[in-house]
Amino acid sequence: MRLFEDEVTLDKELNDFTEKNRETLGLVSLDVPLISNLDVSVNIALIKQYHENLSADKAQNLVLSYLTRYSLEHISSKRNPALTNKERFCAMLLRAAMVRDSIIVIDRPFTIIPDVKDDRFIYDALKVVDDSFKQCHIFDYLWFKDRYGMIGL
Amino acid sequence: MINAIVRIGTTTINVTKTFRDTLSFAFIIILKMFNKNSYNSATRQVLIHQIYFTSVQILPLFIGISIIFGTLLMGIVLQIIKNLGLAEHLGRIIMDIVVTELAPFVTVLLIALRSSSAINAEIAVMKVNKELNTLDKFNIDPVDYLFLPRVINGVLSVVLLSAFFSILVLTSGLLFSKLLFGLSLESYSNVLLSSANFYDIIISLVKCCTFGFFITLIPIRFGLHATNDLTSIPIAVLNGMVDVFIAIIFIEVLSLILIFI
Repeated sequence: MRLFEDEVTLDKELNDFTEKNRETLGLVSLDVPLISNLDVSVNIALIKQYHENLSADKAQNLVLSYLTRYSLEHISSKRNPALTNKERFCAMLLRAAMVRDSIIVIDRPFTIIPDVKDDRFIYDALKVVDDSFKQCHIFDYLWFKDRYGMIGL
Repeated sequence: MINAIVRIGTTTINVTKTFRDTLSFAFIIILKMFNKNSYNSATRQVLIHQIYFTSVQILPLFIGISIIFGTLLMGIVLQIIKNLGLAEHLGRIIMDIVVTELAPFVTVLLIALRSSSAINAEIAVMKVNKELNTLDKFNIDPVDYLFLPRVINGVLSVVLLSAFFSILVLTSGLLFSKLLFGLSLESYSNVLLSSANFYDIIISLVKCCTFGFFITLIPIRFGLHATNDLTSIPIAVLNGMVDVFIAIIFIEVLSLILIFI
């Protein structure tokens, strides 16, 4: 958990961190949106297909198995604009988890899921895929400190 | 007077810069095209989708236009050949007009109108939506994943659809040659085959490949010119499509010069 007092510092630290861990970075951020002309499943499968040359069928099955963990199989053929905030967050998290030995970085999670009041949803979402990433770092503002009860500082 | 000279100079510099940038971008794409590391499961999937969108979805419209336009044109051309008493040059004239000139030109116009504009808008929207940033953050090379499949698709689509157009129009030519000259299928085929020139076919093939390459490359390049502002999308598409049209005319003129020298 990395909390910052202002946007400039947060952006700078986030940029430094992402550049340092570029090879294994799995970024979850509004600045790294899902590709709008691809289905959710293709967005997530893309990582495995591109970096590990996994066949489209195998990658799709893998993605479907992960979506099933969240009970979100029904969003596999949806596109970004049709998703709810929570569905979008899970899709972006899954995509980040697809990176091999990924270091997941969640950039200001409450801007992605503004309707969520505390970190319980984020904690649960991370727990579902905790076998798929090495580390997870959350970058947020200091004034959201009270929202992070489950994950802790 | 000085203002006019300045304007001419600025325009010349801009045109030269655009031309140079397009060629250097083309060089990058060609290098990637012959690098086997550029191809993976994701790029192959994009290529298949692109071929479907460009070459398969367009088929009903393409067949309709080929039959209507091609048949009428063949009727007129064969009638003129008959009126001018040029029946002995029938095969040569048909091959020159249909295979070398008409087929690539009609095909490239149809694909440019439909797919080039779509590619231009798609890349511009991706740029505005920061989706290219997504690819960058996930270490996905946009040249491999986005641009290369589209350019390869452009080349394949123009070559294949142009050949298809030629077949459709030459088939309709059979009808008119039977009506006007009383030629049988065998005689008509013989006339065409004896008139087929290997050099012309190579020129036609190279022309189709060049058309396909540039009518996808230019929209991609102009799509990348979009800024983070939504209003930059129509400007990027407009500029891109104007340049696509200029490129089509330029390649056509170049090929005509090559044929006639």
